Amino acid sequence: MATPKTRFGKIWSKAGAVLSVAAIGFVLFPIFLADNPWPVEARDYLAAMGQAETGAVNLVSSIYLGYRIFDTLGETIVLLVAVLGTMSILSRVESLVDDSPADDAGKSGADKAGDALKKSGGFSLSREKRHSHTLRTDLLEAVTGKIGPVILIFGFYVMLFGHVSPGGGFQGGVIVASAIVFLTLGNPGAGTLLSNTRVLSTLETAAFLLMLLLSSSGLLFGQGFFGNPMAGAENPEVYIIILNAVVGLKVGASLGFLCITMMGGHK
Amino acid sequence: MKLELLLILILFLVGFWGIVGKNNIIKKIFGLNMINAAAVILFILEGSRSGADAPILGKEGLHIVDPVPQALMLTAIVIGVCITALALALAVHLYRVSGSFDIDRIRDKVHNEN
Repeated sequence: MATPKTRFGKIWSKAGAVLSVAAIGFVLFPIFLADNPWPVEARDYLAAMGQAETGAVNLVSSIYLGYRIFDTLGETIVLLVAVLGTMSILSRVESLVDDSPADDAGKSGADKAGDALKKSGGFSLSREKRHSHTLRTDLLEAVTGKIGPVILIFGFYVMLFGHVSPGGGFQGGVIVASAIVFLTLGNPGAGTLLSNTRVLSTLETAAFLLMLLLSSSGLLFGQGFFGNPMAGAENPEVYIIILNAVVGLKVGASLGFLCITMMGGHK
Repeated sequence: MKLELLLILILFLVGFWGIVGKNNIIKKIFGLNMINAAAVILFILEGSRSGADAPILGKEGLHIVDPVPQALMLTAIVIGVCITALALALAVHLYRVSGSFDIDRIRDKVHNEN
């Protein structure tokens, strides 16, 4: 080792950590001491006008799909970037593991770690590797395989009724993503169609394209960017429902993709 | 100062201790997540003081809470998930390159190679 850690050095670094935690606590303490009343102007305005202006009974939906829709668009882009970054980093890891030479005499720790990763099948999900994973049991597979479709339906319910009940695109999308993980765990080997990362990435890009199309659909009806094309019509909430479904598909596909890639099911 | 605020502060500081005081990078990522959770809980709690009902209209005589912090925290949660995923992918990559999750060993490895 180039910089051998002495015992004194270790104590010194721990002391520095304690000091910095104390400093952060000192800085943040006034924030928690403050006793200002929460401003209610925004709440009162939204309670009076939110439903009429956006069409959503659920005011949280009316904010993130109405007043702050640009925020949601940016957030879906951040999700896309996170998926791309994770993909590129993990696929590099996989190629490194695959290419590591097997007959190297002077192996460093890194090569050994790579070999260990290779021996255990990476973070593999396939059935023949199951015995090397203590967490994967028959019980887990039976339960997750049966409960997965039910959770999938619940996720779509939360997604599609987000405008009138607690829920919405993001929440439903996360539930759909967990259903995808359950289905993948419960169907080892071939897996379901939703365990296929190609299908998921296609879903995600299609949802993003749909969202961009929806964003400009208001322009044809004399509205602004992301304006509601059904603003004057009988059911303005239809636009909110469609947007919720698109956001939910995007989030569900992205997070499911991330989880399956992390579990090594990437093809 | 109320008890729940003190608990949130402790949660934040525990997360911060995980980042600066632990050597394992997986534990550092856990700490990051705890800080994120503390911020989300703080906003939801403070926003909930302005009313008693969920911000869903449709009934008469509702005294709803402020929906703005709830909508903002929705964003924060998703961003937190993105950051966690990216950080975990980087941790796997570091493990492959250096053979360890220990930040000191990774640093030593980098020093030795330069």
